[in-house]
Amino acid sequence: MRVTRLTARDFRNHSRVELELGPRLTVLHGPNGAGKTNLLEALYFGCVGRSCRTSNEREVVRSGEGVARVTVEGEDEDGRHLIEVGFSPGEPKNARVDGARIERPADASVRPLVSVFLPDRLELVKGPPSPRRAHVDRLVGALWPARAQARAAYSSTLGQRNALIARIRAGRSAPSLLEPWDSELARHGAELMRHRRDACALLVGPFCARAGDLGLHGEVELRYRPRSRAETVEELTDELRERRASDLERGFTTHGPHRDDLELRHEGRPLRAYGSQGQQRVALLALLFAERDALADHGRTLLMLLDDVMSELDRERRERLSGLVLAGGQALITATEAEHVPAGRGPGVTLARVEDGKVWVEAGASDGSWRAAPRAA
Amino acid sequence: MYAAPVSRLIAELSRLPGIGQRSAQRLAFHLLRASSEEAAALAEAIQEMKRTVGLCERCFNLAVGPLCRICEDPRRDDDTLCVVEEPSDVIPMERTNEFRGRYHVLGGALSPIDGVDPEDLRLEELFRRVEGGGVREVVVATNPTTTGEATALYIADSLRERAPSATVTRLASGLPVGADLEYADEVTLGKALRGRSSL
Ligand SMILES: Nc1ncnc2c1ncn2[C@@H]1O[C@H](COP(=O)(O)OP(=O)(O)OP(=O)(O)O)[C@@H](O)[C@H]1O
Ligand SMILES: [Mg+2]
Ligand SMILES: [Zn+2]
Repeated sequence: MRVTRLTARDFRNHSRVELELGPRLTVLHGPNGAGKTNLLEALYFGCVGRSCRTSNEREVVRSGEGVARVTVEGEDEDGRHLIEVGFSPGEPKNARVDGARIERPADASVRPLVSVFLPDRLELVKGPPSPRRAHVDRLVGALWPARAQARAAYSSTLGQRNALIARIRAGRSAPSLLEPWDSELARHGAELMRHRRDACALLVGPFCARAGDLGLHGEVELRYRPRSRAETVEELTDELRERRASDLERGFTTHGPHRDDLELRHEGRPLRAYGSQGQQRVALLALLFAERDALADHGRTLLMLLDDVMSELDRERRERLSGLVLAGGQALITATEAEHVPAGRGPGVTLARVEDGKVWVEAGASDGSWRAAPRAA
Repeated sequence: MYAAPVSRLIAELSRLPGIGQRSAQRLAFHLLRASSEEAAALAEAIQEMKRTVGLCERCFNLAVGPLCRICEDPRRDDDTLCVVEEPSDVIPMERTNEFRGRYHVLGGALSPIDGVDPEDLRLEELFRRVEGGGVREVVVATNPTTTGEATALYIADSLRERAPSATVTRLASGLPVGADLEYADEVTLGKALRGRSSL
């Protein structure tokens, strides 16, 4: 789905805003503290049903108000759609798609696929492996929806196996009971590893290309680093069996895809440990764009929300990033200065100024410039 | 807030699965308005069920008397046993009209997280039934969930040792992963039964 319009009420510092999005790009610019990131967050909130910034969601409700509301309008092959999310702290969210109430907004099939860049997402490149695994698994689910359950099945089996290890250590269950759980864990584990390998294989080429586009010079690699070398369920079962004694000693399952990693390397060294701040930033962007490419090949378009991406890039890299953004899908970029986004004017682009919780469209959707162009042609 | 007997009924009703505080109140006030005969009929139905329905001595399905209707039926085949988790799983299986053997109800599935060990299920009883001879095939129809699958593997492993002559089969994987048998429709379940494979 392509998003055409966002409205938010009592969301953060915005009491009431409406914004028509550019079909390709929307640029929000304005001074620090204006409410740019808040608008980006509102768009995410409407599309995904939760905040991309905080786990304490009461923060999103405008001070002194009781309810925050976001609506997202969009269109796809089937026509126009409307997603509405209302949130009042302490109550379950009220989400509707085309007027029908839904349990979890994330389950709505019409919602756009969203990818976010926030400055603190750099953790994905430089932090511990577990968010990277979760990230790859989400990509698997977006590429092949039927494969999304493998991660949940593996996690619940892992939870059972760890609980059994604790019971065996406490003398309450027999060690021989590990047998069926090892087989189950290996079955789901081998499946999960296969999905991750498939997803990473799709990313390798685009990641290197996009990193080059964004000016990360030198050799760049993206590698799936599975904990296990097993190729089959049987091999993984054997590996788990071999580690039973040490697992029982240590009290948890020490082997399997819950210890996998996705490694990003530059000039032969892991970016996680050796990369500069700027290199890590570019690597994260390259990863997100590589995912956009992989999803596009699977017929899915992505809405990219890029918060403050330009601030630490030099002019040449800003140009290159602008070019990439316009090359496909739909995006929203925030920046303190409009000039930081060289693509900020042109067909399909909305340029809007944000100041103190208010938004003015300066070029694009509302002034009709991109609409007039195709009609004239 | 209400008279003590009303509060007590609301408290009891709200302990039932799927009944929240509000539904419990609605039911209680409905019964308050109903005639004494209607209320007594409900109370008696509950008491009669508790008095007369127990578990079948052989298969642990629901039974009035020592044996359930399926165990008492002479037309059923003794050589095929279908293993399910709960008595409620027998009903969808019966609706398929595909299965002519007998049942064995485990009373749950292995789940270390919930502290359910083999001793907490009717597994020993199952193994003895099969060891006793006369059973050619054991169809394991536990739910296609993590716990159901692990239980199926445990049964297959144990029977391989204790009753090697019996074949152990599993329903074909046409059932939605993670679903409960109880909610599967007849057509899907029938297909799963016909396409079962060796474990
Ligand atoms: N629940 C809320 N109610 C009212 N105002 C809020 C709420 N939450 C945040 N704000 C205000 O929103 C403003 C920050 O907005 P935002 O983070 O969108 O700024 P920004 O335009 O992205 O700025 P920068 O360029 O510095 O990133 C702050 O002034 C903050 O006090
Ligand atoms: Mg900001
Ligand atoms: Zn019986």
